[in-house]
Amino acid sequence: MRKTIQPVLLLLLVLCLPSLMHAQTVINGRVTESVNNNPLEGATIMVRGTTNSAITDPSGKFSITVPNTNAKLQVSYVGYITQVIDAKNSASISLTADNSNLTEVVVTGLATSIKKSNAANSVATISAKELAGNTRPQTLDGAMQGKVPGAQISANSGAPGGGFSVRLRGISSINLSSEPLYIIDGVYVNNNQNATGAGTGPFSGATGQTAGTQDQAPNRLADINPADIENISILKGPSAAAIYGTRANAGVVIITTKRGKAGKIAINVGQDFGIVRAINLIGMHKTIWDKQFTVGTDKASGTDYTQEKALKNPTSQTWDYEDIIYGNTGFISNTRLTLSGGSDKVKYYAGVSRWDETGIQKRTGYKRNSARLNLDFQPKTWWDFGIATNVVNTVSDRSFSGNDNNGVSLGYSIAYLPNWLPQLPVNGVYPSNKYTGQNPLEIVDKGVNNEEVNRFIVSFNNTFHLLRRPSHSLKLTMQGGIDQVSQENFVHMREELQYQQQRPNPGAVRNTYTRGRNMNFQTFLVDQLKQKDFNFTTSLGAVRLETDNKTIWFQGEGIPRGTTNTNNASVQLSFLDLSGWQDVGLVAQEEINWGDKIIATGGVRFDKTSLNGDTKKYYAFPKASLAVNISQFDFWKVNAVNLLKARIAYGKTGNPASFGSKFTNIIPFAIDGFTGSSTPATVGNPAIKPETSQELEYGLDFAAFNSRVTGEISFYKRDIKDFIDVFSLSPGTGVTSYKAFNVGDIENKGIEIGLGGSPVQNKNITWRTTVNWWRNRSKITRLLIPEKATAATGFGAFGTQRLRVGNSPSQWYGTPNVNGLPTAYEDAQPLWQLSWSNSVTFLKNFEFSMLIHRSHKNFNSSLNQEITDEGGVSPDWSNLNETGVPVGSARILGQPGITTRNFIQDASFTKLREASLYYTLPKAVYGNIGFLRNIDNARIGVSGTNLFVWTNYFGYDPEAANFGNRPTLATVDLLSFPSARRLYFHLNVNF
Amino acid sequence: MKKLSIVFIAACTCFCVSSCTKGEYLNVSDSVVDPNSVSVDVVLANPSKTQIIQLCKGLESVMRNGHNDFLASSAAVGRETISSRSTDNRYYTELLGTNVAQYGGVTAGANDPAGIFNAYYTAFSSTRRRAEQLVLTANNATSITAGEKKAVEGFARTIQAYVTLNLLNMQGKNGIRETFSDLNSPGDLLKPGKFGTYASGLVLVKKYADDGLAALAAGTNFPFTFGSGFTGFNTIATFSQFNRAVAARVAMYQNDWAGVLTTLNGSFMNLTGSLSAGPKFVWSTAANDFTNTLFVTPNNNGQPYVLFNEMVAAFEANDTRFTGTTAKAQARTSARSSGPFTSTHEVRMFTSNTSNSTMIKNEELILMYAEAKVEQNTPATLLEAVTAINYIRTSYGLIVYAGAVTRAALIDEVLKQRRFSLFFEGHRWFDMRRRNMLAQIQPQGAIGSQTFVVFENMSRPDAEVQWDRQNP
Repeated sequence: MRKTIQPVLLLLLVLCLPSLMHAQTVINGRVTESVNNNPLEGATIMVRGTTNSAITDPSGKFSITVPNTNAKLQVSYVGYITQVIDAKNSASISLTADNSNLTEVVVTGLATSIKKSNAANSVATISAKELAGNTRPQTLDGAMQGKVPGAQISANSGAPGGGFSVRLRGISSINLSSEPLYIIDGVYVNNNQNATGAGTGPFSGATGQTAGTQDQAPNRLADINPADIENISILKGPSAAAIYGTRANAGVVIITTKRGKAGKIAINVGQDFGIVRAINLIGMHKTIWDKQFTVGTDKASGTDYTQEKALKNPTSQTWDYEDIIYGNTGFISNTRLTLSGGSDKVKYYAGVSRWDETGIQKRTGYKRNSARLNLDFQPKTWWDFGIATNVVNTVSDRSFSGNDNNGVSLGYSIAYLPNWLPQLPVNGVYPSNKYTGQNPLEIVDKGVNNEEVNRFIVSFNNTFHLLRRPSHSLKLTMQGGIDQVSQENFVHMREELQYQQQRPNPGAVRNTYTRGRNMNFQTFLVDQLKQKDFNFTTSLGAVRLETDNKTIWFQGEGIPRGTTNTNNASVQLSFLDLSGWQDVGLVAQEEINWGDKIIATGGVRFDKTSLNGDTKKYYAFPKASLAVNISQFDFWKVNAVNLLKARIAYGKTGNPASFGSKFTNIIPFAIDGFTGSSTPATVGNPAIKPETSQELEYGLDFAAFNSRVTGEISFYKRDIKDFIDVFSLSPGTGVTSYKAFNVGDIENKGIEIGLGGSPVQNKNITWRTTVNWWRNRSKITRLLIPEKATAATGFGAFGTQRLRVGNSPSQWYGTPNVNGLPTAYEDAQPLWQLSWSNSVTFLKNFEFSMLIHRSHKNFNSSLNQEITDEGGVSPDWSNLNETGVPVGSARILGQPGITTRNFIQDASFTKLREASLYYTLPKAVYGNIGFLRNIDNARIGVSGTNLFVWTNYFGYDPEAANFGNRPTLATVDLLSFPSARRLYFHLNVNF
Repeated sequence: MKKLSIVFIAACTCFCVSSCTKGEYLNVSDSVVDPNSVSVDVVLANPSKTQIIQLCKGLESVMRNGHNDFLASSAAVGRETISSRSTDNRYYTELLGTNVAQYGGVTAGANDPAGIFNAYYTAFSSTRRRAEQLVLTANNATSITAGEKKAVEGFARTIQAYVTLNLLNMQGKNGIRETFSDLNSPGDLLKPGKFGTYASGLVLVKKYADDGLAALAAGTNFPFTFGSGFTGFNTIATFSQFNRAVAARVAMYQNDWAGVLTTLNGSFMNLTGSLSAGPKFVWSTAANDFTNTLFVTPNNNGQPYVLFNEMVAAFEANDTRFTGTTAKAQARTSARSSGPFTSTHEVRMFTSNTSNSTMIKNEELILMYAEAKVEQNTPATLLEAVTAINYIRTSYGLIVYAGAVTRAALIDEVLKQRRFSLFFEGHRWFDMRRRNMLAQIQPQGAIGSQTFVVFENMSRPDAEVQWDRQNP
């Protein structure tokens, strides 16, 4: 097939020379917005039927050559309703703001895009302003929370530096990553959650020697500065994302960064100051423990407590250790400077920023230094070239939280710490703690869990316009880039710590170096042909992605005081892990647009990857869609309704098995100084295929009263076929599992409803409001393997997720077992979610916005009550139940009547995620003061994130998840790091 | 100028397209080799002598897998010790039988089948399979002699018998899967053998041991060098003595007292020798090796192994097993609570996490001998039993046995000596079970608001239950 492309290409090249247009008349005009008649800079004016275009200057003015004065001009500006006018009426053009985002352009293919009003999918878009313009979420995924219908985005912990999981349209996988694919300016973004070692044996001891699931590590999307982003398009399901093929099973998030616009240099300087406080502390037992002294707790007998207290605290003093550890106020400073501008030949966007935050716990924090330079060249009329570069350095100190077996994790320690036990240091000596084996304040002051990331993301795009005629154009585009992440983790527990003293070799250090690299390149030919009312857009292309990762760690135990170098350790261990893969895709897509009335798209992508069992086989991922703009037909007479569109779309995507799934390896086992080997307890599957997802989505979009009211409703059915999981074998065979097996099917069904509008829109007040409601239900429809507990989703009788046919994969299970089968409980997926965003501008210079988010009937496996009861510190521990037993003593697992029911907790919540108020300073205030007269625009504001939370949940945050980004939303809560509320003061100046 | 640009574009396009056709751009790696390790097929197909040696050393190493979990769990159920974890109460609730009702009631239920106490099961089962695979691989090899093949087989079978007996004892009446399908066929993992009974399981383990002995007898020499744990048991002749010691254990669980005495004759039993003689588990901190996880620093507050006070109360005064510097358990500086249990003593059997631990020792062989002699129940054998018991007693500073010389009294005495001599070595729970005395184990029953049950056996793991449910 490739052999035939080559001559065709050459023929096209020879035939289609870049052609010059001959100008006839030049006309001038000005574009303004309709409310205050302010000029619009950067609006595009196109002469219909030609390729002539112009862009307005800062005063809104433009000049353009037209064939004659009867020509039609199409005037468009992002965020405003496009107008078509006669050239002779161009002197003053007034554009009305479009609150519906219908004019936005959304990406539908790898090399093509489409107006939102013509899209056959519900594609969520987030603008720069919505993302990080109102307030300042710390990370990009945090900035998306509550803004994407169909998504469940939750913070795994509140520790500085991020750690979010994003799920689009239900459950995409059971055991593989189900984070969406992130693409920044064409680069495949590394969003790994790299192991740090903080959860391993010598540290929190949550897991054994292998780092990973319980390290409470952030995912690497945290490195991306939200302020650099121009907009985000979210392809939520396979029907929209099929063109991304084998990497798109969990959806695609396409991120476009800011670029320069032709015109004068626009300079923006911004400074934010903020404070950070815990949203909620659970509150510890307040009184002096009378009941615990009588009956004792799960941790100690009453007599033991009485003796210990008499010895250590005869004056009956009490401390609120939760408040001492998590009750601090952190400070944020966020500084940025951007310059953008350019000519029609060269445009630039340059920016630097620094985020510096200290946490609610002493010695925690997060810093991000980021620099960006985006350049766009047009060296020739037929040639566009652009490059985007981003260099980031982030440093975080996250301390220790989550699951624990050493008495190190602070949430865990607090749960077992009597309020009368003195723990504050006296002359630098931290009193020991016989109940948890470690003084938590000593961990706060001496434990180190540090991470530094140095990262660069560079991308380029290159377009040759081989042919540019009004009726026919052909371009060759090449796009590619590199994302290189170097991550260094340093975890240190000093020798003198009480729990280290009790280890065989006190003093432990772990250095982890992780290097991840994604490189991708794609070539596309895009042909656009106009025949009467029909537009044909044909794209053909090839895509390649290479990933290469390396992790090395060095661990030392028995590190003497005064050094942290593992060379000095009594016991030294090191480890190397290599992984890498290559994907190749071939793409063809055809879009037929009949006068914006009917838009039909069909396409297919063929993918192969080195991760598949059969590396030679191309898997096909087809797509097809149809959008019918009923309101564009001549018969449509309801003028009030300016858009009515019915749409239906189908598509398929895939997800390959993780690296290593094919291999069956000999495992090294040493004894007495000799390294032997043995066969493994898990075996590879050389026949592994990708898991796939196919989706049928259909819905209706409408806009009425000049887009003052808009709405959309979408239904989808998304089927996961052949999902990959560990195939648990009968362990009695001596082999516990196949590492990966295509074991079953899952069905997701959902509804997304969005309603928006501008109820008030006049000179004094503009109020825009949007309500989104969405729900998803999942079900396992086929299972080849025996029912089983899903790995890393919980702790036995405290609730675990399982694979059971007919039930949801995110459902909880636990005791009592009936006929050998655990009882099913509620689902971790919410029954529905609702978000309500509002933006009000009033008195010309004020702007207020807020975002409320409700998650309804999502259930956590919560150990918060259990561990605080075991330790005797829960606030109501001493209250007596009807049989005269303290409730805190009667509630713990093992007591009569206590089953998993007690631990599967309703974690519904309503959060005021964001609110902000800005005031644009009138020029009169500063216009006459020296240097300040250079300022074009100055704005001050206040804002906040996570301002209020309404929930009945017992814990720091109903969104917490101990196991991090598990595909089945395993929201297991073990008093994770408390989530923070951030309050900001903003100053923003444009020159 | 225009011409140049066309040429340039054409050149670019040609470059792209030709690189496609050359195949670099559209090629993906089809390697089936993990960059991090060696593939199994490479080793098992036709192993070199070095690879056989490595597999033997591997089996010697993995024999330790799961052993400490086995000891800790069986000691808790048998009410010897508690793993008193500061952050996980399942070690002294679930494992001590508080949740039995939720897993099927007193007769059927035990611990959570999908819970955290299955580590021994997967580890022992893996070792059992690895031994089977070693036998198969060695027999296929062309790089070692027939006599070496037999020696390797004898080694593998003996270790297989050792771990499978421990696996079977944990599962008790649940039995174990008794056959492997053809390990060489690709689908063998999908066809696990059926579960047998406890009795048929013992027959299988006995066969492993006896097959091992027969293979050793036909072997010439081991192609590999044993580690220091097998010092004194590293030749065909001496390793066979270890094999017979394992066989004696099997015979004891079969109540085959004549068999016990026969097998002990072939073992390293020495009625007047060092009590601690026998092969050892050795541990180290080296990479890919294991440490002795039963070592905990004295007076540790994180997860000490503490004793049930009933155990401490049973100590005889002046017994050097539990007093003085050689004591296996000593008083903590402060008592340790684990739920309703408060413990004054903790385990002090190891001085570091690289201290050796017992695999099987002469002391156990002597006590098996004594028990078998008591069971023969003639005046002469009862006296032989008393002599053996007195050797143990006097070795630990106790006066000679002064009780009645009857079968009943002496069985009690043997069980008592086993309780103290073989403390924390995986025996107490199974001794009480084979003597139908589980009800006498203390503490159990209602304590505070909870009810503790000494269960008969560990639950069959959920993965096994679900497998059989799916593949009846």
